[in-house]
Amino acid sequence: MAGTIIGQGLTIEGELTSDEEVVVAGTIRGKLSADGPVTIEAGALVEADISAASLAVGGTVTGNVSAAERVDLLGGARLIGDVKAARLTIADGASFKGNVDMDV
Amino acid sequence: MARGSAVERSRTSETSESSSVLGRGARVRGRVSGEGDLRVEGQIEGDVTLSGELAIDEAGSITGDVDAASVMIAGVLQGNVTSRGAVTIHAGAKVEGNMGGAEVSLEEGASFVGRIEAELDLPAELMPRQGR
Repeated sequence: MAGTIIGQGLTIEGELTSDEEVVVAGTIRGKLSADGPVTIEAGALVEADISAASLAVGGTVTGNVSAAERVDLLGGARLIGDVKAARLTIADGASFKGNVDMDV
Repeated sequence: MARGSAVERSRTSETSESSSVLGRGARVRGRVSGEGDLRVEGQIEGDVTLSGELAIDEAGSITGDVDAASVMIAGVLQGNVTSRGAVTIHAGAKVEGNMGGAEVSLEEGASFVGRIEAELDLPAELMPRQGR
């Protein structure tokens, strides 16, 4: 069960919701919410608010993100927006502009 | 050697940038467009425009117009189809809409309401007559 994969050439304009894992290598404009882990791969472009169980970003995200477990900004990631998650890592080479709410 | 190439192939198909899957628990409200193939196991409410092949699995459903290189339907489709290649409606599928494609095939057991416009050359005696 691979869950959902949005390939590199694909664009979704609207709302994507999923009970499972979502991997984005393409483009999403709108809203993304998943009950499973979400991965935004390098080269992907997401202009959407994201809520997920956990989120790993290697691509470009513009929007507010929230995760039940954790958010990982990988090297080369670019996030403009607020982060709400109990755990956050920002790797060397990631760029980030926004507020962090760790809910303490 | 053969094993190596099989592994290579499976890895390429897994990470292929031109192949997308909308999983069983997934739902899209809006437009889906772009390059590559798409397999739909979930739900789409909106139009789908693809340069590649579209497959709607048994569990999948699309409410909206579809334009793709080829279209395979085993699930539910409410909307019109435009295809540059084959349109295949499998047994168990539920389709409402007009099908336009180079070839359209409808399997026994499929439920279909709509029009089929396949491009074909009519024999001379069936060509519409000029004048009356």
